[in-house]
Amino acid sequence: MEKQEKIKVLYIDDEPHNLVGLKATFRMDYNILTANSADEGRALLEKHPDIKVILCDQRMPGKTGVQFFEEITHVFPHPVRMLLTGYTDIESVVNAINRGHVYRYITKPWTEADIRSAIEEGYKYYVTSTMLALRNEELQKAYDELDKFAYSITHDMRGPIVSSLGAIEIVQNSNDLNEVKEVAGMMEKSLQSMDALIQNMHEYYTIKRGELTIVDIRFDELIDDFKEVFSVTAKMGNIDFEINLQQEGVFRSDELTLKIIVTNLLSNAFKYQRSNAVSKFVKLDVNATPERATVIVRDNGIGIEEAYVNDIFSMFFRATSQNTGSGFGLYNVKDALRKLNGNIQVHSKPGEGTEFRVEIPGK
Amino acid sequence: MNLDTMYFIVIDDSKLDCFIAEKVIQNTGRSESVRSFAGASEALEYMKALPQDRKTVILVDIQMPLMNGFEFLDAFKNNIPEEKQSNFVINLLSSSINESDQNRAKAYPFVNQFLNKPLSKGALENMLSAMA
Repeated sequence: MEKQEKIKVLYIDDEPHNLVGLKATFRMDYNILTANSADEGRALLEKHPDIKVILCDQRMPGKTGVQFFEEITHVFPHPVRMLLTGYTDIESVVNAINRGHVYRYITKPWTEADIRSAIEEGYKYYVTSTMLALRNEELQKAYDELDKFAYSITHDMRGPIVSSLGAIEIVQNSNDLNEVKEVAGMMEKSLQSMDALIQNMHEYYTIKRGELTIVDIRFDELIDDFKEVFSVTAKMGNIDFEINLQQEGVFRSDELTLKIIVTNLLSNAFKYQRSNAVSKFVKLDVNATPERATVIVRDNGIGIEEAYVNDIFSMFFRATSQNTGSGFGLYNVKDALRKLNGNIQVHSKPGEGTEFRVEIPGK
Repeated sequence: MNLDTMYFIVIDDSKLDCFIAEKVIQNTGRSESVRSFAGASEALEYMKALPQDRKTVILVDIQMPLMNGFEFLDAFKNNIPEEKQSNFVINLLSSSINESDQNRAKAYPFVNQFLNKPLSKGALENMLSAMA
């Protein structure tokens, strides 16, 4: 549990000497903010969202402690509440618990030990309950993603299969060899896109669940791999693939995650070319030092409409009907960068091209 | 049975699926013409400009980038003049096996049928004869 910072406690009491007394007693241990009235206390809560524990006197002119707690239940649900009171009639205890959601009830005159144990216990309760809320939120997010995932996967995997089945039916009834070849070419593309989807899924899982393995990165070797992977695409599409590498010293990172990032960016750069453009190019610039690696992938392809630039990293988002993207690649890139504490910037102009600039700190 | 020829529009981001639909439509012998669109908004623009009284059968995919099938249905309802809407017989054509998609389609009273991929000649002929 993080204990470096003092626990921030709000203490509300209409009697100034009580405020001063408690603050003086605990000033070494806790960061105590004091307020003279419920309204003043509320103002402090607004200013200090990191208040963890609230101590409040019950008998105050204007508003009682219970009324105050009741009022802030929904606005400030997280701080742990404790009521200080000299009166111990059962009705006020019941009210405090039922209406004020009070965690502890402390009778006056308090002892130092009472307050200390109340704050410590209350803080522990605060930490576990907020952690639980956070975990629940994460879990909800994971479930939502799974739903989206399951929906799109059934569709995206089934799509190429039913297309191919439809195509087979046509081919079986056709006597035109050229038509048969044309359909076979389309089936090939369709199955390739399904294969790419399966690889993307594998990458997704690798990024989500895999541990990082930090090694010395040899960019010259990585680049040889990229050259090999993309040389056929470059040649077939008549696309100039230019690579610049500058590496000084040793850059350390996770090789597989790094590869996923650069491969996806390159594959997009090759995929989203303008078919009628004359001098098509993809440029890869890598600049690595022990502190950071900067990778720039540039193309003069179709570019991205401005309205879609913010969505391109969302899962299953596709910004164009040109070509068969899985809507998965850039999501994986972003996720991989999150894992490496890196960042990515996009500059794009429709019809002119796109530049992705990635920065990754060395480990 | 009514054997008039009709106009067809296929909207699907998959080139192969457009091709298949075109072939199947032509094989029914009921096609006056088939137009394919990779994007729903382009199709919508084309539909807006069509002559007033041309009966046109639409086959539209659900999962497409930029504008999906349901967004297309919404845009159709809001952007095509009401007196022209009845010229179009709109069918969804999808590989989706999600009940939620089929239920969602039911919420659009002007959707004629939910057809499954791959489109077969039989299914298309049934749909066309039910229309008449």
